Amino acid sequence: MDANLLKILIAASLIAASGGMLGSLALLRRMALVGDALSHVALPGVALGILFHFNPFLGALAFLVFGTFAIWAVEHKTKLPVDTLVGVLFTVALAVGALLTPREDILDALFGDISNISSLDFWLASIASIIIIILLLVFYKKFTLSLISPDLALASGQKPHMLELLFLMIFAFAVAVGIKFTGALLMGSLIIIPAATARNFARSMNQYLTFSALLGVFGAILGVLVSYFYGFSPGPAFVLFSGAIFFISIFFRR
Amino acid sequence: MPILEVKKLSVRYGEQSILDDISFDLEKGDTLAIIGPNGSGKTTLLRAILGAISYEGEIIFTLQTRIGYVPQKIDLERDLPITVQEFLLLKSAQKKSSAYSPHQALEMVNLSANFLKKRLGELSAGELQRVLIAWAVIDRPSLLLFDEPTASVDVAGQETVYELLHRLHDKYDLTLILISHDLTVVYRYASKVLCLNREQVCYGAPSEVLTPKELEKLYGGGHKFYHHIHEKT
Repeated sequence: MDANLLKILIAASLIAASGGMLGSLALLRRMALVGDALSHVALPGVALGILFHFNPFLGALAFLVFGTFAIWAVEHKTKLPVDTLVGVLFTVALAVGALLTPREDILDALFGDISNISSLDFWLASIASIIIIILLLVFYKKFTLSLISPDLALASGQKPHMLELLFLMIFAFAVAVGIKFTGALLMGSLIIIPAATARNFARSMNQYLTFSALLGVFGAILGVLVSYFYGFSPGPAFVLFSGAIFFISIFFRR
Repeated sequence: MPILEVKKLSVRYGEQSILDDISFDLEKGDTLAIIGPNGSGKTTLLRAILGAISYEGEIIFTLQTRIGYVPQKIDLERDLPITVQEFLLLKSAQKKSSAYSPHQALEMVNLSANFLKKRLGELSAGELQRVLIAWAVIDRPSLLLFDEPTASVDVAGQETVYELLHRLHDKYDLTLILISHDLTVVYRYASKVLCLNREQVCYGAPSEVLTPKELEKLYGGGHKFYHHIHEKT
């Protein structure tokens, strides 16, 4: 196996594993579409990176961290209607990103392309994904409790608002990393699909978290291999495979 | 020495006063029932004691007071993939030494070990309520807050939730605060009663303060309650 393919497989697997785990927690509170909407905020950052020749990952991360913090602050510090504001903010970001992104780069920015991953990006994506996985494992119990019942979390002395901010920041980080793989438009798939599939047959949190990560990795490997040998784009290939597994899993719902 | 002292507690949302000038205290082993009509601020009072909302006035605990809280209900999605065991273990993440194992906590609420592997979504309302009580008592609280236990009867042939609470109260020397609509329960189990209607309408031993006159003041038109009390006492 050539070294480049191995690099792509490792990066894609780690990204998908962290996305899957994150998704399993996000789906506890029906936050599936947050990842989807949030990923749009990254686009102007990606565009600026391309235009001014710095790493688009950093641009995406900066915009995502700002966007997430803005949502969190609006939700907890003001009385503005959050979902309306998020809808407006995110579509505006998408439009700005679409205008700024050079025409020849727009497809990569929207749908991702991990097949030309640079050494730097490989290390960035891999290390960031590992950090995300570790953070999720460390805070897994606290996140779970505050996601399934904020009231009980509060009564147990947690600070649900701060945990939520931490969770959203990890989310932003994961989206910034995942964009290289699936692009801004398909980013939600990394978070939603493996977790939604795992939920159909997991009988415990342990299984749910493990299956989500493994299904992400499985879809990523299939997607990368098929795209490598048949010349598809890896992001959409991942989505198609994972989507197919999800629809099959519906019939095996426990 | 009281384990909980509440002095001149007031809660406001904007202009609206939810609770006004509430004062009471609890000794170890007390059972305080909070009664009052809907919207009288009962749950708000519990939330203030939990520290979940901001308030004016003072809420003073003795140092060792550890609070367990049983919510009226939790909104769980039915297909949530979490087992009772995993749920009970979530709490040990919050505090270093959880006093009881999930198994022991279930025993305390009369549920068998088979329930450890069941998912929360598979439980009946009565079973879920018992699991929530197990959740509240698992780390040996000294003060238990209970928001309006509905007496679920679907755990056949077992003690009611009030009998369960009463047993825990006696056996583990708990201090209880419970919200209740049921005056029978208040008479049978409470050592103190606090009548709320945004402000403190009455406070003291049930037999002294729950007079038809007070109840009429609290609920308006106390005729029904008068009969109710006589039937049951």
